[in-house]
Amino acid sequence: MSLTAQEKLADLFAEPAAGQRRTIIRAVDVKKVYRMGTQEVHALRGATLDIFQGEYLSIMGPSGSGKSTLFNAIGGLSKPSSGKVYINQVDVAQLDHNELAWLRCRTIGYIFQSYNLIQVMTCLENVTLPMAFAGLESEEARDKGLHILKLVGLGHRALHKPAELSGGQQQRCAIARALANSPEIILADEPTANLDLRTGEEMIDLLAKLKVELNVTIVSATHDLKMLQKSDRIVWIADGVIVKTAHPSEIDFSKGEVH
Amino acid sequence: MTTPQHQTIHEQVSLPVSVALEVVLQGIRIRLGRSIVTILGVALGIAFLMSILTTQLVTQGVSDEEKTRTELVRMLSFLTADTGPLHERTLGVIQAGPLNPLETRFLQTIREQGLTRLQWTLLNKSLPAPKDADVVDLPAVAKDASAVIVVGDGDSSAVDWSAVLAPARQKVIAITRPNTSATQTFAGGTLVTLSRELRADEKVSLAAAEKRERARSIWIIVVSLLVTVIGISNSMLMSVTERFREIGTMKCLGALSSFIRRLFLIESTLIGTMGALLGVAFGILFPVLLYSSSYGFGMVFSSLSWGTLGIYGLFSLVVGVLLSMVAAVYPARFASRMVPAAALRSNI
Repeated sequence: MSLTAQEKLADLFAEPAAGQRRTIIRAVDVKKVYRMGTQEVHALRGATLDIFQGEYLSIMGPSGSGKSTLFNAIGGLSKPSSGKVYINQVDVAQLDHNELAWLRCRTIGYIFQSYNLIQVMTCLENVTLPMAFAGLESEEARDKGLHILKLVGLGHRALHKPAELSGGQQQRCAIARALANSPEIILADEPTANLDLRTGEEMIDLLAKLKVELNVTIVSATHDLKMLQKSDRIVWIADGVIVKTAHPSEIDFSKGEVH
Repeated sequence: MTTPQHQTIHEQVSLPVSVALEVVLQGIRIRLGRSIVTILGVALGIAFLMSILTTQLVTQGVSDEEKTRTELVRMLSFLTADTGPLHERTLGVIQAGPLNPLETRFLQTIREQGLTRLQWTLLNKSLPAPKDADVVDLPAVAKDASAVIVVGDGDSSAVDWSAVLAPARQKVIAITRPNTSATQTFAGGTLVTLSRELRADEKVSLAAAEKRERARSIWIIVVSLLVTVIGISNSMLMSVTERFREIGTMKCLGALSSFIRRLFLIESTLIGTMGALLGVAFGILFPVLLYSSSYGFGMVFSSLSWGTLGIYGLFSLVVGVLLSMVAAVYPARFASRMVPAAALRSNI
């Protein structure tokens, strides 16, 4: 990279003035086209979005709106057809698979709708697995894993397998796993969709608590009204385009506006 | 403008093989039931291949042994036709050179006939001394003998047959090879040719039968190899594809594709080795026991060519391990290259 280009880039990502928040994820005109046989499906038609550090952002939209596609793109789980995604000011498209793995391991923690715990491992082993990928010693990983499991309120279930746990407990374990390598960002794909109302609420409270305690950025794709109300900012997406961005206080949840 | 704060992205650490091995062993231990099923799948394929190979070897051995036994009976009856029963007789043996297996067996058969004495002379002193025989010099070999048997692959033209046979009780020379010089020089006694030269038409039909047999056995081995390939591929493919989601999850957690490939390489090698060893053991044991129950243990064990069996066993072992590795690493490679989002979506 030539010096001038570097300067341009430096200008683009100039550190914000005091009081302003730092952008941790920036998506610029992200497009995604799937090919289904002969047909082209435009899942994203150009989404531009800044996510700030320490923010709790919810992405919502009907199914098929491109919500999951945007979510996967900003999480580095799939490559957009065009447009740029910067995580921590680094262009994700420029990373090779090795560096992407590093990013997924250290910077981002993923939480899934269906938990995606490894069924044959205990909770503790699930939590220490990403630590092993980061090269942590197994003794140290064990201690850290137990500590995190206690943090999410699952200390007494550390040696149980996922199948022996309730849905809420499994999602707590998945949250603990997402936190394993102290990431800056947590991506949660409909984390409450498979849970009942009360357990879902507990999960939302836990995430809100972790956001404050650990100063992590949380991005979630969700339909859950409770979750939307707790978030700092809501992004609406419809038909592959971001149609509205708002703070929960600006929205009347009693009306059908959210859908 | 403040200096931009660039966060550097590092290379993900490449974990050492020991970590991969640890993860694999833990995985096999945790899903022991599934691992055993996969091992048995591999074992079944290899056992099938190995039992086909063993069966071929056993039936070949038994049929050769039966031919040899018939031949021995024929040779003995040719000899006794001129000497009478060999019980409490004395025989002389002139060994001109190394013995072929048939001669060895024939001399053994003669020893079992209840001889009083077996006088044995070696024309070539470098030959190993025979067991269960009295080694004598050439002039004494025919003393009180009912017959002198000339054996071995060597030159016996220097022998003065009339002189040698002078002290014998019966002047009978038996030769096991058609080209022995005794044929020309010996007179004044009986010459018995124990060997049998095949007629030309017999040779042709024998060669044709051998060719047919060879083609048949190649065909059977190829088919059993195919069955093994399909069986093993199937069980290894199943055990990997049902873990696509797991692979996707691991990638989300920061596993390198190379680490995932290495996991499956180690796992399939371990499973393949265990399965193949098991398969080879069963593939040898079952046919041998089965044929032993019909032909008898002695017959099967003495006629089986253990060296060839060992080579077949090694071959099956290598086939099993290689097949398992290829069948597991290919889908694992595919899965490790998938975008994590796609691997997570798959519901195989």
